[in-house]
Amino acid sequence: MLVLGIETSCDETAVALVSDGVQVRANVIGSQIDQHRPYGGVVPEIAARAHLELLLPVLDRALVEGGCTYDDIDAVAVTVGPGLIGALLVGVAGAKALALARDLPLIGVNHLEGHVCATQLESGALDPPMVALIVSGGHTSIVLLDADGAFSTLGQTIDDAAGEAFDKVARFLGLPYPGGPEIDRLARDGDPAAIAFPRAMLHDGTFDFSLSGLKSAVVRELRRRDAAGIEIDVADVAASFQEAVVDVQVRKTLAAAQAHGVERITVVGGVAANSRLRERMTAACAAAGHRLLIPSVALCTDNGAMIAAAGWNRLAAGQRTGLDVEADPNLVLTPLPVPPSSAAPGGSPR
Amino acid sequence: MLILGIETSTPQTSVCLGTEHGLLASAALGRGNAHGEFLTPAIQFCLQQARVDVTAIAGVAVSLGPGLFTGMRVGIITAQTLAHARRLPVVGMASLDLMAFGARHARKLVCSVLDARRGELFWAFYRPAPGGLQRVTEFRVGPAAKLAGEIEALADDVLAIGDGASANRSLLESTGAEVASNALAYPGAPALVELALPRFLREDTQRAEDLRPTYIRQADARISWRNRGALLGGKPTGVTREVS
Ligand SMILES: [Zn+2]
Repeated sequence: MLVLGIETSCDETAVALVSDGVQVRANVIGSQIDQHRPYGGVVPEIAARAHLELLLPVLDRALVEGGCTYDDIDAVAVTVGPGLIGALLVGVAGAKALALARDLPLIGVNHLEGHVCATQLESGALDPPMVALIVSGGHTSIVLLDADGAFSTLGQTIDDAAGEAFDKVARFLGLPYPGGPEIDRLARDGDPAAIAFPRAMLHDGTFDFSLSGLKSAVVRELRRRDAAGIEIDVADVAASFQEAVVDVQVRKTLAAAQAHGVERITVVGGVAANSRLRERMTAACAAAGHRLLIPSVALCTDNGAMIAAAGWNRLAAGQRTGLDVEADPNLVLTPLPVPPSSAAPGGSPR
Repeated sequence: MLILGIETSTPQTSVCLGTEHGLLASAALGRGNAHGEFLTPAIQFCLQQARVDVTAIAGVAVSLGPGLFTGMRVGIITAQTLAHARRLPVVGMASLDLMAFGARHARKLVCSVLDARRGELFWAFYRPAPGGLQRVTEFRVGPAAKLAGEIEALADDVLAIGDGASANRSLLESTGAEVASNALAYPGAPALVELALPRFLREDTQRAEDLRPTYIRQADARISWRNRGALLGGKPTGVTREVS
């Protein structure tokens, strides 16, 4: 079954073609970063305008890369939420029109479920139970996917999302947008132990995060050093800030997996592209005997393939979404239909 | 030639199927920002009631605004993807032109006025011409007082139509203009198909990917860090609404 996946929840216009929920035939992403860069963050109205301009060209390229036509497509999957309402609306309306025009089943997908399902594109099948750290510009949370396919949020940020903290600190350091990759690159030349930034909520016994205090601490520290005439090494600041973020994320994710007796851990979302997070999480999982399923960078950031994969899981269980479905900026996670590993014969590795 | 018409640039969503022989089916909903929810089911309803298959559609006509940003985007992306998936030609037309077309027998200078939100209006003027109307100004955006000033400066009798005219009835009437009834408050898909048909017949059409909304106003460039929605069990973190 070939599923067309459409993702427009934030600032990437993405379309992919995925066979049987696991095999990526095409995965095309139209980035809008250049349009948001002057503002140092994602501007909702600009994102909505850009999605409208990019969706057809991206769709065209996906069909070409996948070597197929509309006749080969069996279903349409689309991100319904959570996300920016104006951005979501473009993808949802486009997906509905495609489903009507080609008489195809439609399936609406939760963006966060899509992120978690990105793991099945490389490991062959989603294999719960697993604990997922979802870290991006809009989300920072630890989610448990239990053996029955039910999601529960174990913890989340009480203020800023991780990607947002990276962007804000980068902006303060005079680095271009988006800040995540810039800080990651700069931090490689810095000493992560140079400045002891606070690890908020590390020992509070919850799986929640707080990142706004860390951003303020960076600002305070730089101002203090500036006033005291102490030389500031931007690479050290970047590395120390990044280390504080990563430290809490790694420790809390492992603590969550241990608390729930779960062996498998996954890290997804745009911030999962951070090289220090990948490195530290890999080491920590190896040391504690956890199996880490971390998608390659292209599947961690927002993409259509993860939406097609998540959509396929539900389609294979017979679920369908009506043409009257609305984009929902606050969509919550709902249980997967059946344990995905036994959803259908096509779910096994191939 | 079976044409699908889509008009979503105002609080009313309007869809129809028509040919050179007239209207086959139409559906409209005036429930505010329900474009995304209503549009595709409405197209499906029109197809089913007219007993035609989606493959029978020969062209898609769509309103490009000016109007509500999100409404325009929902209508245009629907027209684009539907046309793309069936390899159909498209024709884009202006919301204000469609509205004026409804008043073409008025023998007055017609002013189409739509609510642009944020205390402003979109408008344009039309003069009677052989076979219909001719637009004689650009699309404009501004407060009602600016429009009233423009009407006052004109020597002609003016008929003002559209929800923006109804909402400013007393101000516009004080300039001597006539304000039409609510029957002409919104642009509709039937007028769109009637106006677009000659263009389809003479193959004066566009490629789906070239359609763009008529924004007139610049994008509101405020960044909202905290509007990407809430997680399971979480509270929405101050969802900010789009401009329209
Ligand atoms: Zn994401």
